[in-house]
Amino acid sequence: MDNPLTLDPLFQLGPVPITAPVLVTWGLIVLIGGGAYFATRHLTLRPGKIQTLLELFVTTIDGQLRDTLNRDPAPYRALIGTVFLFVLLANWCSLIPGIEPPTAHIETDAALALVVFAATLGYGVATRGLRGYLATFAEPSWVMIPLNIIEQITRTFSLIVRLFGNIMSGVFVVGIVLSLAGLFVPIPLMALELLTGAVQAYIFAVLATVFIGAAVGERPKRNLSSQEVSKP
Amino acid sequence: MHIDWWTLGLQTINAVILIWILARFLFRPVARMLDERQAVTQAALDAAEAAQQGADRARATAEAEAEALNAAHAARLAEARDAAAREKSRLMAETEAALEKARDAAEAELAGLRRAQQGELRDKAGTLALEIAERLLSRLPDPLPLSGFIDGLAEAVAELPEATRTELGRTGPIGLRAAAEPTEAEREALKSRLGTVLGRPVEIDVTTDPGLIAGLELDASTAMVRNNLRADLERIKAELSDE
Repeated sequence: MDNPLTLDPLFQLGPVPITAPVLVTWGLIVLIGGGAYFATRHLTLRPGKIQTLLELFVTTIDGQLRDTLNRDPAPYRALIGTVFLFVLLANWCSLIPGIEPPTAHIETDAALALVVFAATLGYGVATRGLRGYLATFAEPSWVMIPLNIIEQITRTFSLIVRLFGNIMSGVFVVGIVLSLAGLFVPIPLMALELLTGAVQAYIFAVLATVFIGAAVGERPKRNLSSQEVSKP
Repeated sequence: MHIDWWTLGLQTINAVILIWILARFLFRPVARMLDERQAVTQAALDAAEAAQQGADRARATAEAEAEALNAAHAARLAEARDAAAREKSRLMAETEAALEKARDAAEAELAGLRRAQQGELRDKAGTLALEIAERLLSRLPDPLPLSGFIDGLAEAVAELPEATRTELGRTGPIGLRAAAEPTEAEREALKSRLGTVLGRPVEIDVTTDPGLIAGLELDASTAMVRNNLRADLERIKAELSDE
């Protein structure tokens, strides 16, 4: 099997080398985007099975965001929901023979972590203002400024490494067992990979939410019902 | 370990593009639909609440009307009872008055019947008394003397009107009826007493009538003077009948 720590371009688009994770990600974008487009074309007040499933997904994401942030979940819904859905489906790509999950390569995890990091900065500045956001680095004391800056970097790295390590190791183990034992032996491990992929997607989304929540600051708790009116 | 920066850049762009696509085609439409359903549900709840309030008001109005109807019914029932009581009292009074009147009429009729029966009994008693008296007097060995009736006859003639007295015995002897044939002394006494009363000498024509039982009776064209037991018994009978 190939070395999971290296990437070989499949083909070139001009000067840009296109690797397997990019190609699989494009496939996932087409699949998810196309599915969302076709699934939401005819939404009605009396939902069908697919619409019910979509609404359950959205309300679950909203509930998690509301519980974690104590805020209106609308501004964060698209980012967190997309990250969770993409990481989940990307992790489960390992079930398709011949396809490696994009998240088993550190570039994809780093890209997701960078998006989360940029969103954290953006939401923090938008909510607190530039001075207010920078002032949070001096809390609880100015002595903590270096440590807070390092924390921003290390927790982003931890986000990358956690996802990368879990998914890459799973793919690696399944590949080794498959090459040593036979066709059906790695099935339990693949089932375990399903669980691992779901858990990692959940952890990645929850940590992203927590980072954003720390950036935008706590809000006094109030009774936010699950039916709170939110703007998309 | 090697990091492919092209792949990192493309995956970052891919992630941003996917976020935009899903925000545009998944999260916004679904959230909008959820909001719309929530609004529709809220509107339905508001309408239901308004309908509930309307129903409550209608029920309160109906209850008030029912209470008013019950009150009116009770008032009319009481009024009807009062009217029935008044009518009953009036009918009772009328019935009692009619009964009283009928009772009075029956008592009056009974009293009349009693009076008629008593009168009839008195007539019978008078008739019986006359018969008894006649039989008793007829058993006397000698008829009663006329001398005892002469003075009474003379006094009765004296009380007659002047014109009647003037006419007595002018054209002929005065007609007299006696229960028995008078003696000569009795005839003379009669002439004497009548002559004294009339103020002139008179003649008498005496006929015998045992029906008089005892006594005399003067029978003129314009007057009759009776002084005999028959007349007395008839007078007594008449008086008893009048009582």
